[in-house]
Amino acid sequence: MLNHAEASEKFIADAERTTWHDETLWFVRSKRDKVSKLLPEWEALREQASLIKDHTLANLGQYLEEFEAKAQKNGIIVHWAKDAHEHNEIVHSIISKHGGKALVKSKSMLTEECHLNEFLTKKGVEVVDTDLGERIVQFRNEVPSHIVLPAIHLKKEDVGETFHEFLGTPKGNKDPQFLTEAARQHLRGYFLGANVAITGVNFAVAETGEFVVCTNEGNADMGAHLAKVHIACMGIEKMIPKRKDLGVFLRLLARSATGQLITTYSSHFAKPREGQEMHIVLVDNGRTRQLARDEFRNSLKCIRCAACFNTCPVYRRSGGHSYHQPVAGPIGSILAPNFDKSANVDLPFASTLCGSCSNVCPVKINIHEQLWFWRQDLMKDGLAPLGKSLSMKGMAFVFSSPTIFRMAGYIGRLVMRFAPFIVNNSFNPWFKQREMPDAPKESFQSWYKNRK
Amino acid sequence: MSSRSDIFGAIQALEKREISHPGDFKSYSATKDPVGDFKNSLSIVGAMCIEVENKKNAETRLSEIYPDLQRYTSQDVVANGLDLEAVDVLEIDGMFGVAENGAIWLSDQFLPNRVAPFICQHLVIYVAKSEIVATLHEAYERLDGNYADFGLFLSGPSKTADIEQSLVIGAHGARSLCVVLT
Repeated sequence: MLNHAEASEKFIADAERTTWHDETLWFVRSKRDKVSKLLPEWEALREQASLIKDHTLANLGQYLEEFEAKAQKNGIIVHWAKDAHEHNEIVHSIISKHGGKALVKSKSMLTEECHLNEFLTKKGVEVVDTDLGERIVQFRNEVPSHIVLPAIHLKKEDVGETFHEFLGTPKGNKDPQFLTEAARQHLRGYFLGANVAITGVNFAVAETGEFVVCTNEGNADMGAHLAKVHIACMGIEKMIPKRKDLGVFLRLLARSATGQLITTYSSHFAKPREGQEMHIVLVDNGRTRQLARDEFRNSLKCIRCAACFNTCPVYRRSGGHSYHQPVAGPIGSILAPNFDKSANVDLPFASTLCGSCSNVCPVKINIHEQLWFWRQDLMKDGLAPLGKSLSMKGMAFVFSSPTIFRMAGYIGRLVMRFAPFIVNNSFNPWFKQREMPDAPKESFQSWYKNRK
Repeated sequence: MSSRSDIFGAIQALEKREISHPGDFKSYSATKDPVGDFKNSLSIVGAMCIEVENKKNAETRLSEIYPDLQRYTSQDVVANGLDLEAVDVLEIDGMFGVAENGAIWLSDQFLPNRVAPFICQHLVIYVAKSEIVATLHEAYERLDGNYADFGLFLSGPSKTADIEQSLVIGAHGARSLCVVLT
C-alpha cells in the first residue's frame, strides 16, 4: 500500500485535474463561509454544539441506556456490536432471516469503516449503494474519496463512461442532468424490489429513542419506507441528549458541509411503520478506546460534515484516496491511528498544521492539535519511518549545543552557495516542486554582532 | 448480551467527569418578516411558491403549473407505497414552515403513508402563512411533546451535485416542489 505522500505524488501528476479538485473544494468551503456569516449566532451555535457533545461524551453510558430503552419501547430492535466484524455478522444475520438477495443502502460512513459491502458480497448478497456518488464509485470498484461528496475525484467524462459501461447510456454523453436521470431510473427498480434497506444515522436522540437521517437525494427514505426491514447502523458517538438539541446540530450540519441552509430531507424515525421491522446496530469498534484518551476524546464529537476536508490545503491537493482510509482528510487522520497505529502512521503527518480545520469545525474539535499529539504518540512508539526519526535525532543533536548549531549553519551556507547540487537533488524531499532559497552570506547572529 | 456489557463496562471503567448540559439554545436572532424569509429560503432551495387566499383558490394556479398531469390528494392515495409510483402530482398539508431554511414539517399524521412525499414525481404542500416559525429552535419548541412515529423536515425538491458539483434537481425523491401559502 502506498503511503499518503506516495499516493499524493500520483494524484498531482495530473496538474490540471489537481487544480480543478483544489478549486472545486475551495468553492464548497466558500459557500460554507457565505451561509455561516448570514447567522449572527454562528459562533454561539458552534460553542453550543461543542458543549452538548462534551456533556454527552461525559455521560455516554447513561444516554446509550436511555436511548436503548426508548427505542425498544418504540418497537425498534436494538443490537450491540463491539467491532466491525460483529456489526457485519449482525447485519448479515438479519438479512438471511428475510431471505433477501439484494439490498439497498444509503450513505453510511460506519458501514464503510466496517467494510460491510465486501463482507456481504462474499456471502452472496448484492449491495446496491443508492447515493448517486456512492453508486458511481461502486460501479468503478472504488471507495468514496470524500464523506459528503463521494465521487469528487471524478470528472463528468469519467461518470459518463462508467454509466455507458454499466447502465448503457449513450457513449460520450456526460451531461450531469441526463446521467442523474439514468441513475434515478436504474435505482427505482431496486428501491421497489428490495426487502431490506440499510441507512446510516446522523443523530440519535436519547430522550425519544428516535434517530435522524439527512439526505439531499431522498435515497435513504426511498429505501427505508419501501423495504420490509430497515437496518440503521450507527457508531455509539452519534448520541445526543434531547430532541431540542437537534435544532443546533441541523442548523450547523448542512451549512458546514455544502453551504446549504439544511439538507432537503431530515427524517426522524421513531417507530417502524405497520408491518415493518426496524433494527438499530450500535457499534463500538474502538470508540470506547478513544473515549478513554483525554487528548483524543474530542474527535468523537465529529458530525461528519467534511468542512475540514474542504478547507484543508493538503486534502484539496492530494485527493481522498491518498489517505487510504474510509474517512479521509484531517478528521480521518486523527481517527485512523485509533484503529491501527502502524498502518496509518503517515496520516497525522499529512498536514501543515495550519489549523484551518479546527477553525471551520462546527463542533470545535481541536483537529490540528490532535494531529500533533498523534505525531508525538507515534514517534514515541517508534513507528515513524527511519528517515524521519533519524533526521529528528540529528536535529535534536544540532540544537543541543550552540557551537554545533553555529557550525552546522556555517557549513550549510557554504554548501548552498558553492555546492548547491548537494541539496538540490531528488534525495532531498524538500526540493521536490520547490526551489531551495539563496543562502545568506552570514548568519543572523553574526550580522547582529557586527551591526554598526 | 456480552458485547453490550463489554461496551457499557468500558464506559463505566472511565473516570467520572462532571460536565453539565448547556441548556436550550437561546441566543438566536429574531426575524421581523418570517413569511418573507420563508419565501426567500424556498427560492434558494429550488422550490416554487404561490400565495392564495384559501385552498380552493389554488386550483387555477396549480392547473397552470401542471397542465397535463393528474393531481392526487392524500385521500386519493391508497395505503400501499408501491401504487404511488404512478402518482404524478401529490398534494399534501404541511404542519408548519421554518423561515430560515424553507423546511416544512411533515409527519405520519399528514401523510397517506411514509414514502408518499418521496416517491411521487411532483409534490405540492399547503402551508398556512400563520404557521411559519423563524428558526429550527422554534420549530422544535413547537414539536415539544409531539412525538410523531415518523416525521421530517422537507426543504425543496430532491437534488444532487454528485457529478462534478453540478446541481441537478430531481435525484430520487420528488422532481419539483410547489409550496402553496394560504
